[in-house]
Amino acid sequence: MLQLKGRNNSSNVMKALWVLDEIGLDYEREDIGGAFGKNDEAPYLTLNPNGRIPTIIDGGLVLWESNSIVRYISSTHSLGDLCPADPAGRALCEMWMDWQLTELVNGMVPVFHGLIRKLPAERDPAAIATARDVWAGKWAILDDHLSRNAYIGGDRFTMADIPIGPIAYRWYELPIEREDFTHLQRWYDLICARPAFRKHVMTGLS
Amino acid sequence: MLKILGRATSSNVQKVVWLCDELSVPFERTDIGGPFGGNDQPEYLSLNPNGVVPTIDDDGFVLWESNSIVRYLAEKHGAGTPFWPEDIQARASAGRWMDWALSVLAGRHVPVFQGLIRTPEAERDMAKIGAARDLWAKANLVLEAWLADHEYLSGDAFGFGDIPASPFTYRWFNLAIEREDFPNLKRWHDAICARPAFRKHVIDIGLQ
Repeated sequence: MLQLKGRNNSSNVMKALWVLDEIGLDYEREDIGGAFGKNDEAPYLTLNPNGRIPTIIDGGLVLWESNSIVRYISSTHSLGDLCPADPAGRALCEMWMDWQLTELVNGMVPVFHGLIRKLPAERDPAAIATARDVWAGKWAILDDHLSRNAYIGGDRFTMADIPIGPIAYRWYELPIEREDFTHLQRWYDLICARPAFRKHVMTGLS
Repeated sequence: MLKILGRATSSNVQKVVWLCDELSVPFERTDIGGPFGGNDQPEYLSLNPNGVVPTIDDDGFVLWESNSIVRYLAEKHGAGTPFWPEDIQARASAGRWMDWALSVLAGRHVPVFQGLIRTPEAERDMAKIGAARDLWAKANLVLEAWLADHEYLSGDAFGFGDIPASPFTYRWFNLAIEREDFPNLKRWHDAICARPAFRKHVIDIGLQ
């Protein structure tokens, strides 16, 4: 059975949990990282020398980097559905998955960590506000894309929606100012209607 | 013909032109970004709303994000060769190094490269550059450990997974910084430097 290592309140672990449940695959998960520790100890570092989560073990493959995990699971178990079979359609999905890593996450991290994982006395409100503005600029790009596409990868739900979903949940749940992104909201409502997203991502902010 | 938009000095553009030459894919490149500008103009933003380089136009198919471009072109022109393995697990293993280059390596290298190459000497914050260098070295330790057990990042043979980390490693070995002794990283980097297409698109451009 596929093994997944990582605490379930990590947005990167959520991506893996969500795609596994969308497909209906069996897996065993072990809490690693954050309050559970172990990510900086030898047994885990042997699997993932970065000491970050998640890591999966599937047969002979030990794989880390959450978007690579989403891509691997989708292409192995859902080719033609979550993972488009045509190279151009797949490339457009992967482009937005990369965009989550290169652009979208950078705005989120200072806001989320500042408001949720820091004590009020340690917060830097100016830095949080600046990062929020950067983050909003990224959502504006996606909002425009979603004005022409029902989902991130095109006209149906694909693996491209998965890395961005947990980041969107944080955007809509954090106590911050939010612009009126009509198309983003429409897409987010579609995502929130998916049981696997509700189960693994809509679990509160921690 | 494949069109590549982006200046030759961008490490993200270098990934794409290097790959094209490895696979003998003809292309036309246009200078965009940096001193050439154009990346903040409506014409370019209509192709790539992020205003960063590169973007490709492959007979009307527009794609951005350099790693996605590398994967797309590698599959289109390299399928059936060791460069794009048939085996899905081998492909996933190679591909992780592309995501890792984005999620870890790129961010670790930026303050050092920008600080030493794109910042005037009088404005450099050497303490900050030194601290960033230490974090970059830690990331290179991850490469060193992998390369102790594997010939390439992609596995036994050179492949698409080796592309994104390489321009950063070139910078590591050529910037005026302290360097730990990473023998396996050095062996891999020497193998990459021996490739004519890498020489042409990365080494001959140098650090700018």
